Amino acid sequence: MSASPVLIACWMALAVLSTGTVALGQVAASGLVSIAILAVAVTKAWLIADGFMELRHAPQLWRRLVLSWAVVLAIAISFTL
Amino acid sequence: MSTSAETIALPRRLPGDLAMWFFILAELSVFALLILAFTVAQALYPQVFSEGRQLLDRSTGLAMTLSLLTAGLFAALAQEQVRQDRPRRGALLLCVALLLACGYVGIKLAEYAHLLANGLGMEHNTFFTLYWILTGFHFLHVLLGMVILAWLAEGCRRRRYGAQEHSGLESGVLYWHMVDLVWVLLFPVVYILD
Repeated sequence: MSASPVLIACWMALAVLSTGTVALGQVAASGLVSIAILAVAVTKAWLIADGFMELRHAPQLWRRLVLSWAVVLAIAISFTL
Repeated sequence: MSTSAETIALPRRLPGDLAMWFFILAELSVFALLILAFTVAQALYPQVFSEGRQLLDRSTGLAMTLSLLTAGLFAALAQEQVRQDRPRRGALLLCVALLLACGYVGIKLAEYAHLLANGLGMEHNTFFTLYWILTGFHFLHVLLGMVILAWLAEGCRRRRYGAQEHSGLESGVLYWHMVDLVWVLLFPVVYILD
């Protein structure tokens, strides 16, 4: 099966989520909004890792390493907010 | 045999060279430290960061995000074409990715010029010191990524890559995706999160 539909679906989701991030930024700043923005960022990282970088087909160790980078960083950032 | 059974039988494969993955992990670690330095400084000087961030244009940040991600899409589509032994088509798609990356560079340079014209250079305050370090470091990675994309496009044009040999191309495209990956965390931290 061609990978193109998967790639295009990932890109569309990334574009929508990016616009959503800016929209969330317009909402009055609060802890919940910040967490939502970070959750969107982690979702985008997941789409890039599994979709564009094809880690969904890769050994689990590498997939977990890259995904955990985004998750751990987002959690660390949330503690500083 | 069903399609799902075939899918399960496929062995897991890491695209590109193993060395590139170690390089990507090293780069991600460095960017993580820089991003955390930015957010820790923000926790120490919230007023300075809030005021600094208001001087940045979020729509510009969004335009840069879309340029980078769309370039990533075209690089991935090019990779697919090469795997199907259509390197010339891959070269064309890589050139489109390169053009989109040029869009990012143009927007970023315009933003830098605007900030400098308003006296918001690296020494203005803590926010702008870290803004210039973080986005400048990422900008250099984008430039290197563009050199790699151009090199890959030329390789495809010369049929250096094809269905049988595409590991080098995968590694180069992975580098571009790493640049995208960093940006999706960097963008909200610098432009959005107060």
